[in-house]
Amino acid sequence: MAAPIGRIVLPGDTFSFEQLQPPDEHKKILLGPGLREEKAEIKVLRPGILRFRKPAVYWIDCHHKRYIPAKGDSVIGIVNQKVGDIFRVDIGSSEQASLSYLSFEGSTKRNRPDVKVGDIVYSKLLVANKDMEPEIVCIDSYGRSSGMGVIRNGGFLFHTSLNLARKLLNPQCTLLKCLGNRFQFEISVGVNGRVWVKAGNDVQTIALVNSVIVSEFKDNDQIKEMCKRISKAVVRMEID
Amino acid sequence: MSSFTVVKTEDLDAEQEKGSACVLRGQTSDLGCLTRQDGSVSLSQGDTTSIAVVYGPAEVRINKEQIDRATVDVVYRPKVGLPRPEHRKQERILKNTLEAAIAANLHPRSSISIIIQETEDLGSNLSCCINSSCLALLDAAVSMNFMVAAVTVAMKENSDMVLDPMKRDETEAKSVITYVFDSMKLQVLTIVSNGKFSRAEYKRGLSLAREAVKSVLQFYRESMSKKLLMSE
Amino acid sequence: MRETPLSNCEREFILNFIAQQKRLDGRNAYDYRDLRIAFGVSLGCCHVELGKTRVLAQVSCEVGEPKQTRPHDGVLYVNVELSPMACPSFEQGRQSEEGIELSRLMERCLKESRCLDMESLCIVSGEKAWHVRVDIHVLNHEGNILDCASIAAISALAHFRRPDVSVHGEEITIHTLEDRNPVPLSLHHMPLLVSFAFFSQGKFMLVDPSSKEEKVMEGKMVVGMNKHRELCTLQVTGQMLLLKEQVLRCSSIALTKVTKITELIHEALDKDKQARLKGEKHGFAMLVSGDRVTANRLPTTEVKVDTLEISDEMERSQSSSEDGESQSGNEPMEEQIVATPKESAVEILTKGVGVIGEGGTSTWLDIPQADSKQTAAKKRKHKLEKMEEGIDDEGSSEEEEKVILK
Repeated sequence: MAAPIGRIVLPGDTFSFEQLQPPDEHKKILLGPGLREEKAEIKVLRPGILRFRKPAVYWIDCHHKRYIPAKGDSVIGIVNQKVGDIFRVDIGSSEQASLSYLSFEGSTKRNRPDVKVGDIVYSKLLVANKDMEPEIVCIDSYGRSSGMGVIRNGGFLFHTSLNLARKLLNPQCTLLKCLGNRFQFEISVGVNGRVWVKAGNDVQTIALVNSVIVSEFKDNDQIKEMCKRISKAVVRMEID
Repeated sequence: MSSFTVVKTEDLDAEQEKGSACVLRGQTSDLGCLTRQDGSVSLSQGDTTSIAVVYGPAEVRINKEQIDRATVDVVYRPKVGLPRPEHRKQERILKNTLEAAIAANLHPRSSISIIIQETEDLGSNLSCCINSSCLALLDAAVSMNFMVAAVTVAMKENSDMVLDPMKRDETEAKSVITYVFDSMKLQVLTIVSNGKFSRAEYKRGLSLAREAVKSVLQFYRESMSKKLLMSE
Repeated sequence: MRETPLSNCEREFILNFIAQQKRLDGRNAYDYRDLRIAFGVSLGCCHVELGKTRVLAQVSCEVGEPKQTRPHDGVLYVNVELSPMACPSFEQGRQSEEGIELSRLMERCLKESRCLDMESLCIVSGEKAWHVRVDIHVLNHEGNILDCASIAAISALAHFRRPDVSVHGEEITIHTLEDRNPVPLSLHHMPLLVSFAFFSQGKFMLVDPSSKEEKVMEGKMVVGMNKHRELCTLQVTGQMLLLKEQVLRCSSIALTKVTKITELIHEALDKDKQARLKGEKHGFAMLVSGDRVTANRLPTTEVKVDTLEISDEMERSQSSSEDGESQSGNEPMEEQIVATPKESAVEILTKGVGVIGEGGTSTWLDIPQADSKQTAAKKRKHKLEKMEEGIDDEGSSEEEEKVILK
């Protein structure tokens, strides 16, 4: 019996290695989040949809609201505190992440970045380990910002489920394409379920926020239909 | 004397009286019914309902921190009055049961807190609480070794059995046993009993509950499938 | 637990948006969110949803002594619980400032408006009176808990029925529900609280603020009123100055809101009453409709146990015949405790709980001399009891073997 790829699995379900081995080739099986090897069996730990990618990568696509840090993730954090040389940033995980003032582009001991408590930062996780405090940076390994840093100049931040954030980050995301055809906007999505949007005016921004939130349980056709309705509603509101 | 609520008997659903005693009352679940929590569910089994919410893995208070595992916290909130020792006991039972299911070692130095609000206790409350907290954990996608599911059986004086008893069955019965099973091999995880029963009765209750728990687990699967496949 | 902080960008955006006379959820300044009132199966159990804010109220009663200062009156307790259930920042057991404010306001709204006829709760003057208790549980905090709680509390009071009591001389009878129909509490009027949030020194005003609006507001005014235009409570908090006109305007807005909400409450009460009369299904289980994505419904399922029962019957008959032989049939029912260790299906996988019995009189004395079978049964029971306390060394070592921690 083959593994139920694309089907729901729940904690406690188990598979044998033979079930997961792709038939044609013998590659090492790679287990992603939600799966674990236990007593020569593969055990499911989280409820979700079993996914497969070639050559033999398996993981569980589950529906989360709470973020668990992973190295290299791009997240949006809210600066919560300033302690000496570091900022404590809320990224939605069980522990606040630390962000050194030196990990901004062009910052030196003299030239400190302008970060205030309550600011939002788009950043990358440098250290993410279950036993250690997460650390985030706003530069890449070349010392450039490459799009990261404090997000300023208005816009609106809102929270979604992690599933939805991942869906938005998919390059084939129908929602963003549809909305992009009708509005002009900037968006930055953190995999920790935080989304920042800024459009031409506040009404449009809120319309975008609402359409993203509502799209969670909609399929592609419904999303297209919704985009149409929203753009009409926005035009009406702007006239008022 | 403590404060009591008033329930008219004619308001209770009497489906059990019509059919045989071996009937699980109808169940409904509403996953993610609340917004501020990581996982929430409102579960009803017949008229007995409870709401369970889960936060986690979240920040833990320093005095409760464990360096090798997550701290599991269970709070049970009765509908009337302040929590009393019997509720503390129920919290304890729930905590020990759920701790076995949660893979706490995957999230050290964090807390997984489960809060259960009794909304209507009309029989088999403990099994409703256990089932709702398990569903809430599933909704929050907390890592678990297996799922847990509970079924209550009441033994009457003439050693007849009532599955998933209502409040009146519970008070009339000579003993009430709640069996909790794990989802993998349907092995007994927890037994909470009240009253006197013989070994044969216990075993008969066990096989009845083990049969019934399959439909509870099936219900979990259906509820989760419905939610997860639609948000794909 | 820490709550997600509000970022500067959200704060600025919301304030800006309000200055444009718009709200995040598309409401107008004086609009309430959708209100849903539902009642449970037990009387006096009310569940109110105001947008996503959810509150559960339960009324209960007991007979006790009246207060010495007021011997002719019953007693009304109001208890508001803000637990981490509603919002992670609320702590269990410790009342926050917000919680104290909430319960004080609720008490003022319910007690000091004298909406409940306390004298009718008295049974025997100075000796016996009904103590009515309203427990308010906040389930989800999405702003404006106060209004939601006041609606829930007053609807629950109106829905509640207490057992009937008759007094003949010295004799007091509390009638059971089968005996006499329970009687409603006598409510004189329905005071409701309406909250207003103020921004930019009272320049902008919003009705029914959401949780984000509550976080950025400068001050709040709470108006308690009934539909007869009687002001029951008024409270202003926060650092702001209000003009006289603003206060008057708020009170007239409150009146229209209160009239509408009172109507809704009566409608809900009526609907519940009709459903009960007709014997239709009602209660919280009916709130969940199976057509939503996140909701599911399973009808009553019959558990097939025919085969099981037969095998058990056989086992039982076998065991009793065994007993008959060994004990020459003169032993009581307890003798059905037969040790069958071969088939002990109870294998504890990981740490669990086993609770046998809940105290009470000891039954061991009834059993005559313990034979080997009984001691075996005793041991097993003992083991389970030990496991409950978690001191069973044998059990815990087993656990460690079974669970591989990585």
